[in-house]
Amino acid sequence: MNETDPDVELLARIGNHETQAVNEMVSRKLPRLLALASRLLGDAEEAKDVAQESFLRIWKQAASWRSGQARFDTWLHRVVLNLCYDRLRSRKEQPLADNDELPEPVDPAPLPQEQLEASARSELMDAALAALPDRQREAIVLVYYQELSNIEAAALMNITVDALESLLSRARRNLRTHLVDAHDPALLRRGKR
Amino acid sequence: MTPERFTHLADAYGADLQRWPATERAGAQALLAEGNPELVEALNEARWLDGLLDSHKVLAPTPELIRRIVAAAPVAAPSFWGRHPGWLSRLGFVGAGLAGIAAGMLVVSLSLPLPSASETLPSIFEQSDADIVLSINAEESDQ
Repeated sequence: MNETDPDVELLARIGNHETQAVNEMVSRKLPRLLALASRLLGDAEEAKDVAQESFLRIWKQAASWRSGQARFDTWLHRVVLNLCYDRLRSRKEQPLADNDELPEPVDPAPLPQEQLEASARSELMDAALAALPDRQREAIVLVYYQELSNIEAAALMNITVDALESLLSRARRNLRTHLVDAHDPALLRRGKR
Repeated sequence: MTPERFTHLADAYGADLQRWPATERAGAQALLAEGNPELVEALNEARWLDGLLDSHKVLAPTPELIRRIVAAAPVAAPSFWGRHPGWLSRLGFVGAGLAGIAAGMLVVSLSLPLPSASETLPSIFEQSDADIVLSINAEESDQ
């Protein structure tokens, strides 16, 4: 189990202040961790903050990480999830402020049709994921996008595998409904069988 | 595996059997080989949603974010002083040695005619503090 945890050796090297190990850890974990936070929060800037905070915890833990604890990647997912929960909670507690910030400028350069369609489909998925209840979104992100096993995902969410499967089914049903109902079917054609 | 269980798993995990629980894959494969059209239909429906899920892209880490994260690491940008904590104490010995040499040279110089261009000793203070700035993308390296 922990003997095969691929991150333990790297953590030890970071604990020994090896510069190259820091680089390796960032390239190994950052894209995955940023994707997780982005999909759970639906906000790129907040996701970056979460990524940064998560790495501060990695740096803090590295020297004292012990084999025999949870797999490092599972621990890291737990850290990111907790940071995301905090932010999602505080969003619910605070009413939305008037948004006086201008939206990010859109690149006016024309994009090829295929690229436009891909971008539109991604935005469509973004909206569909954002419309899911938090727990359903969490389940689909952990299992589908992060490719955690059902056992790992269920453990992270503190639920049984049966409950996870139920959340996944409901999430996929809701996504299907959202995608079919709310948008131009022509845009979805490419994904259709 | 029953057809109901198969449909339930397709609903939960999607069309790619590799994403299904490892213990269920062989049973699913065997059931699928029987050619039940309802199961094929369940997989097709799941595949459609998988395609859309796959179309969701997230931003890649920016160089600025990478720089900030690396800079906060315990090994990031250690100063010369941090990497050579004994430097100052060793400097005392070096300084004493240099002083002795200088004194000796002074004695010699007073007793010998001076060359027109005097050679200077290399200064230990010329060693600069090397800041290590790391970049995953190898964009910059200020050693």
